[in-house]
Parts: sequence; C-alpha cells; structure tokens
Amino acid sequence: MSVLKTFNKLPELNTANIMLVGSDVSDLEKLSRSIMDENHSFNVNVRLAQSLPLPVENEDSRPRIDLLVFMVNLRSSYSLSLAESSLKFIDPHYFLGKVYFLATGARSSHLSSDLLPSLRKLSASSHSPVLFADLESDSDRLSVARRFLTLLRIAAGLVPGASALFLNTLLKGAPASANEDPPN
Amino acid sequence: MEDSVITFLEKTLQRIPSSSLKSILSEWGFLSAEQLQDLHFQQSKHILHNKVLAFCEENGVRIRHVIQLDMIYNHEYPNKRNWSVYQFSGQEDDALVLNMTEFSQKFKVNLKDLLRHVSIGMKKCEDDAVWIRVAWGDNFTKPNQFKPTYVVYQLQTPYVFISNLNVKHRPLLSQALVIATKHDEIKEIQLRGRCLKSLKDLVLRRYKQSFQTHQLKPLQERNSPERDQGIVHEHAKRLADLKEVATQTFGDGPLPKLETAVFKLETKFKDPENRILTNRPEPFRCAVKFSSPSFLESLKSLVTLGIASAPVSPLLSSIPQKARNHFVISERGPGVPSTPAP
Repeated sequence: MSVLKTFNKLPELNTANIMLVGSDVSDLEKLSRSIMDENHSFNVNVRLAQSLPLPVENEDSRPRIDLLVFMVNLRSSYSLSLAESSLKFIDPHYFLGKVYFLATGARSSHLSSDLLPSLRKLSASSHSPVLFADLESDSDRLSVARRFLTLLRIAAGLVPGASALFLNTLLKGAPASANEDPPN
Repeated sequence: MEDSVITFLEKTLQRIPSSSLKSILSEWGFLSAEQLQDLHFQQSKHILHNKVLAFCEENGVRIRHVIQLDMIYNHEYPNKRNWSVYQFSGQEDDALVLNMTEFSQKFKVNLKDLLRHVSIGMKKCEDDAVWIRVAWGDNFTKPNQFKPTYVVYQLQTPYVFISNLNVKHRPLLSQALVIATKHDEIKEIQLRGRCLKSLKDLVLRRYKQSFQTHQLKPLQERNSPERDQGIVHEHAKRLADLKEVATQTFGDGPLPKLETAVFKLETKFKDPENRILTNRPEPFRCAVKFSSPSFLESLKSLVTLGIASAPVSPLLSSIPQKARNHFVISERGPGVPSTPAP
C-alpha cells in the first residue's frame, strides 16, 4: 500500500505538480486540459487518478505532488465514497493546506439531499476547503483552472512569503473545526 | 379542390423541416420551375406554406401527388419512425428474381381484394429497397391518410421493415406480402428500433465484429498536442486494459444504433433471505429495459470509463451478433418461444 508522501522527493526548478483524483475520467481530463491551457509562468504537470492508493509502478517516475484535488460529483455518492476512502492513503502533512475538494454538479436539480452535508463534514474533519464548480462550459473551466493555478503556485512554494498552510487559515471555505457550523 | 387533400398536404408540409424543404419540393417535381423560383426559402414557414398550397391548387393537386410527397419525406427522414423487423420463410423457388412490376401488381390486387378502401403507394429506391405506403380504410370509410403504414422490403433478402402497423391490419398486410413475394409465411423478429440503416446492417450482418487478435498499441502513439504531455494518468494501464476489453467485446468500428433493449425475465425468484417470494411455483415476472439514444455505444463507453464492470454479460454483448433486442429469459436459459433462428 503506497501512501502518498509529501516530502520524500526533491522539488524541481520552477515546476509545480497537481494531482486530480476523481471517479469520472472525462471530468478529470477536461479540467486538466483547461489547467494546461492557461498561461502560467512555471511548468505544470498534472497527474490524474481515479482513486488512491496509486499503483506502485509509477512510484519512481512520479514527481513531488504539491496540490491534491479530490473531485466529487454531487450527483453520485460513489465519487464521495471514493474520495473518502482515498483520504486514508495520504501522508498527514498534506492536510496542512495541500488538499482541496472540488464539488461539481451543484446546479443539477436531481441532487441527492445528503451528499453535500456529508461532503462538508468530510472537509471539516480533514481541514480542507471545498470549492464549487461546473465543468460544462469553457468559461467555467477557465475560472476553476485559474483558481487552482493560483493555489498551486502557493502550494509549490513559488510565491515568496506565502505557504499553503498560511493560505488555508485565511480561506473562508476552510472550516475551523468540525463542531462549528460551516459558513454559508 | 377537396378539403381533405388540402389538409393532408398542409400536414405533410408542416412536418418537413425548413432546411430541406427546397430539396424535397424539387424532388417531388410537382411544382414547375418558375413556381419553385418564385418561392423565397428565407421567408417564414407560414408564408411559404401558403404559397406552396396556392401553387399546388393552381396545378390541380390530387391525393396521389400528396402521397408521393409524403413518401419522399419519409424516405429522407426514416429515423423519425419506429421500425419493426419481419422475416419471410419458406420460399418456393430457390432462385427467385423478383420482378418489380409483378410484385407490385400482385400486392396491390391482393390487398384491394381483402379490403376495399386502401390507398397504396409504391416506390423502388436505390440500394434495392421497395418502399410501400398503405393507408387503411375499411369497407365503408375512405382510407385514413394520416396514419399510414410504411413497409420497406429489402429485395433479395427475406427481411421487411414495417412501421406503424395496427394489429387489426396485420393479417391483411402479411397475407398480401407473402403472396406477392411467393413465400410461405412471415414472422416478426424481436428487433425494433428507430434507425433504419442500423436495423438493416444488423439483419444483413454487415456489422463486422472485431477479431480476437490481440493488437498492442503503445500509449505514446497518440498524436497528442504539446499541452497534453504534462498530463499523466496514474492508472494508465488500467484504463488501457478497460479500453481493450471494451473493444474486444464490442469491436472497433461504429456500433449499430439501437434505442432499447428489453429483457423479460420469467425465472423463479432466488433470494435466500426473502422467504415470502422464494419457493413459489410460478415464475417471477420482471422486465428490464435499457433505453438510450444509442444504447450499444453508451454501454461501450460505460465499460471504457470503468463504470460498468467488465467482462460484460454475454446477454448484452451478444446483441449485435444475434440481431435482436427483445429477449425472454426463462428457467433453462435465454431463448424466445417462437422465432426462426437468423
């Protein structure tokens, strides 16, 4: 069982790596293409996975992952349970601001009523913010990609004076504790 | 000019989409060249239709002309109808070369013998198909032109595709077809769909399934643009495996377009925890229906994305081979009570 470790690899020069984890391959690919399309002054590598643990074969070729994003489709409870089970295979250091949840499909009218509260609980217990997006149109994807690129820059340490943990405490979407009500 | 002709013409015109109105009217050939030029096809549909109706009245349009127009429209847009597939059996002569005039003569005479008021239109199209349009009346009323039955008989094959056939008229039509084509009987196969071309491909086995040879495609062979080179799939091997299973089960090329698959189960209920429903002598009837704009393609994508578990049940994957989409599964195994083997 390979656990994703934060600091066991050396960082590369002017490079940042983001890993997207989600059950829907087409969603992952859409978002990754939008991220790669955006202009960025540093190199970006995107790794896509359906679930953790990751296959051991890729252990050597895999670079240090700076940001982990779990894509949860609010229409499918399978994606939420997949994200939950994948959280066990991450080094605890990631939870200091390098893990984000991306919830898609919030605009759909067929929402199952208990997925969003469960997602919020999960995000509260792991101290990771939830971002909402829809990957349907180009402009939606563009704005999500830009947000993640900003987060990625900070998480990779490319912004002097800011770190992922610092950002985590500032973000409104990160609940302080599981007992507090999530901000509306 | 009869009112009924006008209403019939109006209704037929309304169904034709504006984009193909020009081509269909010119194919119809009923309006003269000057009249066609007079029509400005950018105007609103309402104005256009009124003009066409006026021209047709000038030229003295009759029911048979409108029937022709209806047939042209349906030939152009066959996918708006639900087609069922029928098969002939028991041919008298082995090498039967069907004479078109003989066939149409026999068919019309037979049908008119059985029912006084029927209106029949016939057209031989390219790719060896005969399109027949039958509007039914009974012995006292004129034929109802608004609910015609369409029959497409594929020459040199024992297959007929029929749409919109009433149960009442089925024996009449069957008899006329069987006599006209010199067969013994006609039976319905359990295959239904909207896309006529796919149905034809399925029954005529034009759909080629992939061979079982293992073709290894290295993943780097894709001509991916530069931006894709930063994107790496962690589970690339698993995805490639799934894709291979999908192509092995369903083949590489385009799949026939079927809208539904219905499985009627007549098996005994088997659940050790439920004591009320198990151990009953009579079978538990249940119907499972899959529907989608193109059911086989969506099944293939489900397997590729990993949402459906591979290997796919042979009940589903054998649909293109068996060329059927309604199945009855009984205790001893899948089968249908009465169908000739294709």
